[in-house]
Amino acid sequence: MTAEKVSLFLQVQRGLFLVILIVLGLLFFAALVRAVKGPRVVDRLVAVNMVGTMVMVMIAVLSLYLQEEYLLDICLIYAMASFLAVIVLSKVYIGIYEEQHLEKENRMSRGGSTGLKSLTEADGRKEDGAV
Amino acid sequence: MSAWEWIRLLAGGALLLGGLLIFLIEMYGVFRFKYVLNRMHAAALGDTLGITCSMAGLMLLSGFRFSTLKMAMVIVFLWLTSPVSSHLLARLEAGTNEELGEHCEVYEKLETLEAELQDRREEQQMQEAQEQKEEAL
Repeated sequence: MTAEKVSLFLQVQRGLFLVILIVLGLLFFAALVRAVKGPRVVDRLVAVNMVGTMVMVMIAVLSLYLQEEYLLDICLIYAMASFLAVIVLSKVYIGIYEEQHLEKENRMSRGGSTGLKSLTEADGRKEDGAV
Repeated sequence: MSAWEWIRLLAGGALLLGGLLIFLIEMYGVFRFKYVLNRMHAAALGDTLGITCSMAGLMLLSGFRFSTLKMAMVIVFLWLTSPVSSHLLARLEAGTNEELGEHCEVYEKLETLEAELQDRREEQQMQEAQEQKEEAL
């Protein structure tokens, strides 16, 4: 009598976990679609952030589903890694943009002040390329 | 004993499904909004409320163990890191998008913002005064 009740309890719990895992998997693919479609870089980074959050919930649900407690340590480490990834990527993109901007400004200032110099530089580059 | 277990399963399952619903709303918002800064507003939903709801449900389901503390740690960690990462993402977008003015109003300095707001207020007051005069006539 009691054994049947316990097994029913476990069945309900496992069914709940399975449903949640499947829906989270579908949402994962929706976030990937956003990351591929996103017109700007920040769209993709936001999608990566969302994927990270959803994977964290998936790992925590899996740790209860498989009854393996060490998966929660992986969950914590995954949180740190995804945070670090977003921070580093946004810093890198800010740096890339600033570099491009500086190059443009340098070209503009050279072209504005001394037109001849920039022309000779361009010629020198062309010759280098030919050689 | 078993009644308590069932109540715990129901409460935990309800919290977990609530977290899942918040993730669904988040995804709907991310696909509905048209611009990144608006999308980030929807995406921040899952980072805070979504993971809090689902982790609270999992904590209820797992019972009082050491792993419960780890789940609480995940929630606290996300509360601390999610604002930082969204701040950096918004700064990246505002710093690198040269056509930001098409999507939202951009003020170069705080002083000009205040001046513009005051001008608008004065215009509104003038319009209201005119309307009142017309009504009186």
